[in-house]
Amino acid sequence: MSSPARNWKTIESGPHTYEEALHPVVKKNYGKFKYHEIPKPGVLRHVAESGDTIWTVRAGTPRQDTVDMVRVLCDIADKYADGYLRFTVRNNVEFLTPNQDNVEPMIAELESLGFPVGGTGMCVSSVAHTQGWLHCDIPATDASGVVKSMMDSVYKEFKDMQMPNKVRLSTSCCAINCGGQADIAIVVKHTRPPRINHDHLSTICELPKAVARCPVAAIRPTVVNGKRSLMVDEAKCICCGACFGACPAMEINHPEHSKFAVWVGGKNSNARTKPSTMSIVAHNLPNNPPRWPEVTEVIGKILTAYKAGGRPWERVGEWINRIGWKRFFEETGLTFDDNMIDSYRHARTTFNQSAHVRF
Amino acid sequence: MVGATDASSQEVHHCGGCHAEGNGNGKFLNPTPMLDELESGPWPSFISGFKGLAERTKKPMLRGVMDQLEYSYNTKMGYWKGGLVTVDGYGAGIITRYSMIKDKFPEAAEFHTMRIQPAPGLHYNTAMLRELCDIWEKYGSGIITLHGQTGDIMLQGIEQNKVQQCFDELNRKGWDLGGAGAGMRTAVSCIGPGRCENACYDNLKLHLKTLKHFVGVLHRPEWNYKLKFKFSGCPNDCTNAIMRSDLAVIGTWRDAIQVDRDEVNAWVEKKGMDALVNQVINLCPTKAISLKDGEMHIETRDCVRCMHCLNVMPKALSPGKERGISLLMGGKNTLKVGVNMGSLVIPFMKMEDDEDIEAFIEQIEEIIDWWEDAGLDHERIGETIERVGLKQFLDGVGLEADINMVSRPRDNPYFKAPY
Amino acid sequence: MSIEVNGVSYETDENGYLVNLEDWNEDVAVKLAEGEDIRMEEPHWDLIKFLRNYYEEYQIAPAVKVLTKAIAAEKGMDKKEASEFLYGMFPKGPALQACKIAGLPKPTGCV
Repeated sequence: MSSPARNWKTIESGPHTYEEALHPVVKKNYGKFKYHEIPKPGVLRHVAESGDTIWTVRAGTPRQDTVDMVRVLCDIADKYADGYLRFTVRNNVEFLTPNQDNVEPMIAELESLGFPVGGTGMCVSSVAHTQGWLHCDIPATDASGVVKSMMDSVYKEFKDMQMPNKVRLSTSCCAINCGGQADIAIVVKHTRPPRINHDHLSTICELPKAVARCPVAAIRPTVVNGKRSLMVDEAKCICCGACFGACPAMEINHPEHSKFAVWVGGKNSNARTKPSTMSIVAHNLPNNPPRWPEVTEVIGKILTAYKAGGRPWERVGEWINRIGWKRFFEETGLTFDDNMIDSYRHARTTFNQSAHVRF
Repeated sequence: MVGATDASSQEVHHCGGCHAEGNGNGKFLNPTPMLDELESGPWPSFISGFKGLAERTKKPMLRGVMDQLEYSYNTKMGYWKGGLVTVDGYGAGIITRYSMIKDKFPEAAEFHTMRIQPAPGLHYNTAMLRELCDIWEKYGSGIITLHGQTGDIMLQGIEQNKVQQCFDELNRKGWDLGGAGAGMRTAVSCIGPGRCENACYDNLKLHLKTLKHFVGVLHRPEWNYKLKFKFSGCPNDCTNAIMRSDLAVIGTWRDAIQVDRDEVNAWVEKKGMDALVNQVINLCPTKAISLKDGEMHIETRDCVRCMHCLNVMPKALSPGKERGISLLMGGKNTLKVGVNMGSLVIPFMKMEDDEDIEAFIEQIEEIIDWWEDAGLDHERIGETIERVGLKQFLDGVGLEADINMVSRPRDNPYFKAPY
Repeated sequence: MSIEVNGVSYETDENGYLVNLEDWNEDVAVKLAEGEDIRMEEPHWDLIKFLRNYYEEYQIAPAVKVLTKAIAAEKGMDKKEASEFLYGMFPKGPALQACKIAGLPKPTGCV
């Protein structure tokens, strides 16, 4: 356990400082930018009050990167952007340069290296996602593989700006949904209660914590073969998997019984409508590695319908609000079923409390 | 959108560094036919990246992890279990992973992650990033996630006996671990004043100062549960603060939107009157915009600062001059009472100088103290507020009730008031 | 993995936590502490006993805030001082080191 003798005293510095990471033109005009334009997909042009202009080239990355890849990005930054780069919250990389002449050569080099330039304006941007089988301790799938497969299929939509408004995607490998709310989200949905390992439960789990974790109070203490353990009221259980995070002896994942659901209409921006949470529109899709074609197909249906029917500036959720859920299901070819009727807390707030009907 | 099946057969690019040597044809890696399916298609492939790195560095851990991942793709199950590894003086920051099937894949026995706090706004210069890569390659696998969902740099794949030395070397260069467990977590900021014309406060500075202030409880978690900050420069909320953070600091302004008349006219000239009506006026959520004698007029008292018209006409419209922040609290995802959106608790706070930052941090300390006492184990602050009541929360932290905190007054008479 | 104390072998997991919680005794605790480079002194024993009593009563390890509160109350410290005192005794944190020496289950999960 013990490490070699240390000759360094920890400095609890918190976040890395940022000033040395800002391009000098940015630093000079810090807080004094006036407006921006998007002259073409993947390129931003910001103009400061001083008249200075800074160009940004944005490109997609795999998010699960390597030191080799990061060094290549550094080479690009050194060559075209005076040694500065940054990342967006959707895992895109950005290079800032005051020199317009660097823009096109930089795009050409990024594209030749396989980094798609785009992700700006009314596009399908890259996916906020979780770790999955590569690293997580409770994953039902591999988010990175789902994301790679999905981005292959919306590659063109990432690189151009033909959508009604921006589309943000997320992917999560368990129902906790660390990938977050998005215009379209892919989230694992377990379909059966946890299987309990009674031999190990009492030695690896703190029983009251696992009991307390259940949102529907379906877990209670019991004794099995003389050992303290837990039991699940399977009629009550909603298969959320929350207990598994607290107690590894309550395995929720299963190769066949952990499925995918697709959710739409999450929006965090305050622009126009208030921020909104997502609704489920497809479920029981198989967990089908390595390319999860059934999931990608549903995403394609939703994006195709939205692209055709959305008005300028309407996000996915706003488009649905205008055309109504009935038409959403018609136009996407997805099927509404009674499992999509909310049955959790505050369910009645999602019922149609009016005589407004769409035929 | 291309169909699911033909997506993978499109033209294949390999991202730079994704295939430093060999690209999987070398002898170092074992065959991974399932994972190899993720090398086709135009989007940059993380699998190609991993394979290239493994063939160049010949790190056994990478081979073991690829083998285990391939196995997961076949069995559709995950095989990592948690544990506890930390560095001296810290109770959090390393995410520990042991293989549950190390007998099968001994090279994958340990695959711990170091969470590292990036600079606010995810800004880098190449010197600091190369330094980070060099240290990481020396001690770890060389796999980096940019960035984790909470906002950390995730250095993935290190053995327990190298963690302390790796940390010490990173720490010498100004890097510190991120948060984990029941304490302050790493924060996220949008690009802010570092490029965006809509930044209503210096979120990078506020982020840095606030997280430095709470650095102790980030490293030594001792609260009810996690607590996350996100700092968005304006109500477009590019960091998704309202949904992803317990404390969502969102820039705003109190006075009128600044209008550049000439630019408005130039916009209408270029895009036409239809666009002005259909894309700007009709989409204003509170009908604050109208035409007066053919000119666009904004009624400031009706404006809710949603950002839409500014987004459509960035050259013509800008946030007002009297700028600051709104604080929303309680954003979190599903686990366990369901999705909770942050709600407004401070409608406006000036955020211009160091005094304002100090006042902000004092207010946050007050809020955390209340939560430490009122909250239950494993209860996020929004859940505590929901359970205890917003009124009780406001009383507890010394904030005045404000009509902006609710979408409307209550619709039931179930309360007791001291008349 | 296992540790040996007074000629008896006790099974541990890869982090050195006792697999069978009933195996714990004070000699085992001293041995577990040695593995963490910790010399057990009176304040250490006080805390370990507090942990074990708490676990006995509630069947969960106390939250860290419960520990710091108890220390603060007993020693007349503020929260920050109590936290420093705690990490002074157990530099890699109460969850990792104190729970291990007290023979409690390994805390789980990252969410």
